[in-house]
Amino acid sequence: MTRTRPWRTAGAAALLVALMAAGIAPARAEETAAPAYSAKGADSCLGCHDDPALLSLFKTKHARPRDDRGPFGHGGLQCEACHGPGGAHVRARGKQPAGIVDFGPHALAPPARQNAQCLGCHQSNVAHEWAASQHAASEVPCAACHTLHATHDPVLATATQAEVCTSCHQAEHTDLFKPSHHPLREGKMACSSCHAPHGSQGPFLLIGNTVTETCTSCHSEYRGPFLWEHQPVAEDCSNCHDAHGSAQPSLLKTRPPFLCQQCHEGAGHPSIFNGPQGLPGGGAPSAYLLAGGCVNCHTQVHGSNHPSGRLLMR
Amino acid sequence: MSAVALLAAGAAWADDPAPPDTSAWKCEQCPFLEGYSGDVEVGALKANGANFSYGRYTGIDHSTTYADVSAAGQYRSADGTNASYDLEDLGLASRQGSAAIGSEGRYDVKVDYDDLPTRLYDTGATPFLGAGTGNLTLPASWVAAGSTTGMSALGSTLAPVNIEYDRRTASLLGSYIASSAWTLHAEFRHEEKDGTGLMSGNFLTEAAQLPQPIDYVTDTVEAGAAWADHRASLRLTYTGSWFKNDIDSLTFANPYLPMAAGATQGRLALPPDNNLQQFALAGNVPLNWLATSLTYAASLGSLKQDEGFLPYSTLPGATVPTPSSLDGDVHLSHYALALASHPLPKLSVRGNATYDGRDDHTTPLTLDYVVTDTFPSGPPLTAPRYSEDRTRLEGSADYTLNRWVRVGVGGQYLVTHFGPDQLVEDTRDTENWVRATLDPLAGLTFTLKGGNASRTTSGFIASALPAAENPLVWAYDYAPRDREFFTATGSWQATTTLTWSVEGFFANDAYRLSQLGLQSVHERRASTTLAWTPRETLSAYLDGGYQHLDMLQDGFTGALTAPWQVGDFEHFWNFGAGGQCVMATRWTLGLDYLHAPSYSDFNTQVGGFAEPFPQNWSRLDSVRLDLRYQWTKAAQVHLRFIHEKYDSSDWALDGVGPATIPNLLAFGVQPWADSVNLVALTFRYQFGPAGNPPP
Repeated sequence: MTRTRPWRTAGAAALLVALMAAGIAPARAEETAAPAYSAKGADSCLGCHDDPALLSLFKTKHARPRDDRGPFGHGGLQCEACHGPGGAHVRARGKQPAGIVDFGPHALAPPARQNAQCLGCHQSNVAHEWAASQHAASEVPCAACHTLHATHDPVLATATQAEVCTSCHQAEHTDLFKPSHHPLREGKMACSSCHAPHGSQGPFLLIGNTVTETCTSCHSEYRGPFLWEHQPVAEDCSNCHDAHGSAQPSLLKTRPPFLCQQCHEGAGHPSIFNGPQGLPGGGAPSAYLLAGGCVNCHTQVHGSNHPSGRLLMR
Repeated sequence: MSAVALLAAGAAWADDPAPPDTSAWKCEQCPFLEGYSGDVEVGALKANGANFSYGRYTGIDHSTTYADVSAAGQYRSADGTNASYDLEDLGLASRQGSAAIGSEGRYDVKVDYDDLPTRLYDTGATPFLGAGTGNLTLPASWVAAGSTTGMSALGSTLAPVNIEYDRRTASLLGSYIASSAWTLHAEFRHEEKDGTGLMSGNFLTEAAQLPQPIDYVTDTVEAGAAWADHRASLRLTYTGSWFKNDIDSLTFANPYLPMAAGATQGRLALPPDNNLQQFALAGNVPLNWLATSLTYAASLGSLKQDEGFLPYSTLPGATVPTPSSLDGDVHLSHYALALASHPLPKLSVRGNATYDGRDDHTTPLTLDYVVTDTFPSGPPLTAPRYSEDRTRLEGSADYTLNRWVRVGVGGQYLVTHFGPDQLVEDTRDTENWVRATLDPLAGLTFTLKGGNASRTTSGFIASALPAAENPLVWAYDYAPRDREFFTATGSWQATTTLTWSVEGFFANDAYRLSQLGLQSVHERRASTTLAWTPRETLSAYLDGGYQHLDMLQDGFTGALTAPWQVGDFEHFWNFGAGGQCVMATRWTLGLDYLHAPSYSDFNTQVGGFAEPFPQNWSRLDSVRLDLRYQWTKAAQVHLRFIHEKYDSSDWALDGVGPATIPNLLAFGVQPWADSVNLVALTFRYQFGPAGNPPP
């Protein structure tokens, strides 16, 4: 029988209470100063905020009067559903943003405060994995990516999304122009074709549970299982490919034969030195080096279903 | 609801006050959209100098005049019924479109269509006849020889071959809001990919590049239900995906003198039909305890493939193996649990545990073997099956020291267990990092993050090493590795009109126990952007980026030769500048310039003597000008001019013609290059109340 140690339990309880109090105290302090809502809702706001750019909101999903889940649905808090109670702001004739939540990466409201406004409605769908995501950990406000008042939010359009993402992920902006790349620069693919920015249980915020599951959601011809598998293919596509772009063909990390020789240096041709003497001007143009290199013969690098496909040549 | 959100987000401030009585909130000034609104843009696009290099994903692949047509519109009724459509680039091979109908807060149904052209090479030629089919023959006049130089009919039989395919995707999506908590959703996606790819076929030491027929169809169904209220959320999803390839093999004539009697043709297996079934459950639970949110996910699936086998070879008398198909069955499993908590207002803690399993339940088959449809070979061989599972534990904590400084620590532990037939039993990766975010001035934020990682390997299984393989080579996905990395990001809103951001990164990988194979990888990146928006009608930007990547690998051919080494050194640059300006209220001018070169140097050394390859390079220069004239409130004229020049050099392709390599009958494709001028003139007209006022 385990002996109880009351002093430990009491200490743990005291620590817990102290932690919770520390977390709750500021909230209570603010509660007493919580501002009131405006008298007329959106009509209070639109009297001043009549900029066409802001009014574009009424062309978006957020301004659907028959959708009771939205801010402008029946009983909705309209502008104040997102921006918080605006009573004091109205009374001060807009001179101070008391109680108003503003949005964006350089807004006065901290990211967690901004995001709480969004998650109040979007917790259940796009953001149910948000709390555990890298973007939440890095305190990225929703409005750093989303432009809420615009008729067309650029991050929601395939053609313009990469521009939004690479405004922070700038290294990936350089990737767009590499000789071998996915069609993001051409606007035919979006970052969200592979990544789930609101949270994912896969690595790197991928839409699939693994790298391979993500890739084969489009490249389904490589899913297999094949009779003769190539182990690194079954394990992880990124063993050989760099999905964001490459100077080498087919998004490869480096090119054959050198890429292949990072794993294969068996007796015979896999281990031979391939130098520039194998180029057309070098005297002995080499099939190991030129055109597809190793895949000139081992063409089935992703796996073969041929009974004689052991060396991935059939 | 908002209280839950605050907890979920880990916020520790006050709830908003009690919701007010909104019965007097008439929203009389709200310009809700009603009726029909839309726009149509019609014109022409003239392309000069276009080829496959420019048309790789744009579909603008030859010099001609294309129709430039796009349209979008929406209808909304007072009762919330709505419909919309969006059609883009209808005159191009990259066209896409969607149409939707729905009722606000009740249901949505949407149809999507997307055409993605892929144009790879239009510079190749081949003597093979039947491109696009599963049977490639040679012309009657073909003269077989022991090498390409002896193929005397090659010159007269070469015909252009284009390596290109199109991916067309059509999908039907629907969602139904069953109640305030339940939403049902379903999607059916049909994807066709057809055209010609590039693959090779060989007869032991002699090979030929072949036009690969591509005729794939993938149908995917995803259906599920989502439930959410203030206590929790839950999503259940079923995904089924069926891949079908109508051409299961590619038979090709042997252009060389047969090495053995009867070896006059070869046959390649093409991707077999397969299907994936997966059930997934995911959701989260905000816990009323230290502002904690628990996220969970689980999925189980199976991947099956049972395409009938081809015969062992094309040789006379070759049979189909027994059993006659693989009956491949791979079980996929995924479980994840993540916790995000704010135990203190200034402290946030995150942790997650993930398990991924890929368990190949396929019965290993032992089969006879014919080498490249030429030589029946030794004893039967057993096809190995590969399984692995990964368990990943991650955690991090961030603490806000004061209004200027936030610090964090984190780490990861990943164990990968490999199944039988693999070289090691498991690998263990650990990673640790520290992070500091500094806000020294209003609008100025820097984040610095650095750390290290290492991988260890245990349980080397010598018997899994193929007989001829060198045991000193560590495949780099198994190899013990040390990594150090550092990232710095910064952004500064200097004034309300000027913002600057910067990002830098380096990582060094060392494969410390690898005597051969990959030895090291170094990566450096730096990028910056400056944006200036002095007023609503004027904006400008400058951006630039640089990446350096190098990798070093060692090799050893045999006792009679010197060890060799290969270094791959790659550099990438991009520089962009541009802006937009509204002039005289009706004119809008946009200008963008891009310069993006890349360089790749392969330096080889053997016996201490350097033997560098010629540099591979690419250079992209692009200028784009957009001029819009707002003729009336609803009518706009748009003139677009694009000049793009791309040039590249690649020693694997430069100067390689069909007969350059004695034992490879190549297509002779050349590196991408283009110099394109596009001029588009379109007229855009907007209908209905959504028409934008002149800028």
